[in-house]
Amino acid sequence: MADFEPRIVGFLCNWCTYAGADLAGTSRMQYPPNMRPIRVMCSGAVDSVYILRALLEGADAVFIGGCHPGDCHYVSGNYKARRRMVLFNSIMKSVGLDDDRVWLRWISAAEGRKFADTVTELTARIRDKGPSQFQRLWEV
Amino acid sequence: MKGILKVTGRDPEQAIRDLCAGWLRSDRLAAVLVPAWSKSGAALLALITDPEKMADISPLLPAMAVNAASVVHQLARSGTLTQPVGLLLRPCELRAVVELIKLRQVLPDNLVLIGVDCAGTYKAAGFRNIRGDDADFANKHVRDQKALAGNPNFRLACQLCEHSQPLASDLAIGWLGMNPDKELWVAAATDKGRALLDGMEIVAGDEPEPRQKALAALVERRRASAATRIAELDTVMMGPENLVRYFAECLNCHNCMRVCPVCYCHECFFDSATFERDIAEQVHLAQRKGLTRMPSETLLFHLTRMNHMMTSCVQCGICEDSCPAGIGLTLLFKKVSLNAQAEFDYVSGRSLDEPLPLTTFREDEFQTIGESRP
Repeated sequence: MADFEPRIVGFLCNWCTYAGADLAGTSRMQYPPNMRPIRVMCSGAVDSVYILRALLEGADAVFIGGCHPGDCHYVSGNYKARRRMVLFNSIMKSVGLDDDRVWLRWISAAEGRKFADTVTELTARIRDKGPSQFQRLWEV
Repeated sequence: MKGILKVTGRDPEQAIRDLCAGWLRSDRLAAVLVPAWSKSGAALLALITDPEKMADISPLLPAMAVNAASVVHQLARSGTLTQPVGLLLRPCELRAVVELIKLRQVLPDNLVLIGVDCAGTYKAAGFRNIRGDDADFANKHVRDQKALAGNPNFRLACQLCEHSQPLASDLAIGWLGMNPDKELWVAAATDKGRALLDGMEIVAGDEPEPRQKALAALVERRRASAATRIAELDTVMMGPENLVRYFAECLNCHNCMRVCPVCYCHECFFDSATFERDIAEQVHLAQRKGLTRMPSETLLFHLTRMNHMMTSCVQCGICEDSCPAGIGLTLLFKKVSLNAQAEFDYVSGRSLDEPLPLTTFREDEFQTIGESRP
């Protein structure tokens, strides 16, 4: 476990969280390199299939970053993402999977610090939890 | 309009056939979609237009081959009829029709939803051995109501079903808690439903107390059975290893999706080119864990399907009936869908007016989602 490096797949909304990540980088803020960012146009565009595929293939966590409620550049995409997250969490709980390995967070383009802090917090949380059990299960 | 419809000759099925024949003769309906018992000995659905051929339909037949909403999806995607078609179906089927209407997969204008009580069905496959050549089988089934609540030979979904009476319908026909040899309960909730009762001999009145009590007792018993079975399920299904084992024998045939009345996409994402991989890609994917299951990504299919349609699942269990590997989908989907719908205070098929949970939102809801947990 000592050399366990969490692998986190991140889906970052183009307008807010991706720009927030960019700001963290250009501001030279330090945070763990464990998240692989994927730019998407909206947090509301992240279908559950992408989250589930990452988890079943062995990702230790999935991060979804969107604009703050009320700030969606497509008016309501993040409100829909929020409802879909409620459903996703409910299903994860119903089948006994850890819904705390999937984080949805609102991070604006101005919140480089919040982005760096969130990735730091998530990486630490997953380090505590240990690797995803799906890495050992090939028959998924 | 609601009240009692008199039944003569100890034949409640005939009373419903007579209703259908009347609607067809008076051109109030162009056709009726209704359960039927075929001469070859199969439990089917019939789209009947000829009032002279009523002997072939069996509106109270307790056997289910498909959820009729799948057929309605095929029947009523578009509409140019001037007279409506009646859907004389079971509560779970009408609930799925309601979901399809809200999903804009079925045009409601030409349809009249006629719900009939259902206390449970047998699997259609093999039902001919149970029914034999007893023409009075369906009448006997509704006559002897004591054994219905706990009948262990019903499909599992039916043994756990708490929606024995129609939820949203234009016209409801009830026999539970009645003496169906003598009378049936009828209740019209809309103008379409009232038009069907127009001119019929109905003794107007409130729902009889014995019927209310019988329905409440059935709900209580079925809820308790469902809770017990779900607790048993949890001991073998919860967590990554158990979940993988639960779906281990999946053949990736997608039958569960194809027969699902509310899985409405004309082309499923999982049948799309995304999952047509060339051998190099498959080998690359296998390298991630060193070996991979073939056919691959079956658990991904099931978990994604849950995310896509659990808010509309009507718990009819037709998915399990169609599964060649015998995976326990009925119980799993019962648990997952009831939990998911509870999050949104939603019941699939309860109302045409309630928006689908994933097509609506409020700004001031679920405000802990998106914030860090302690």
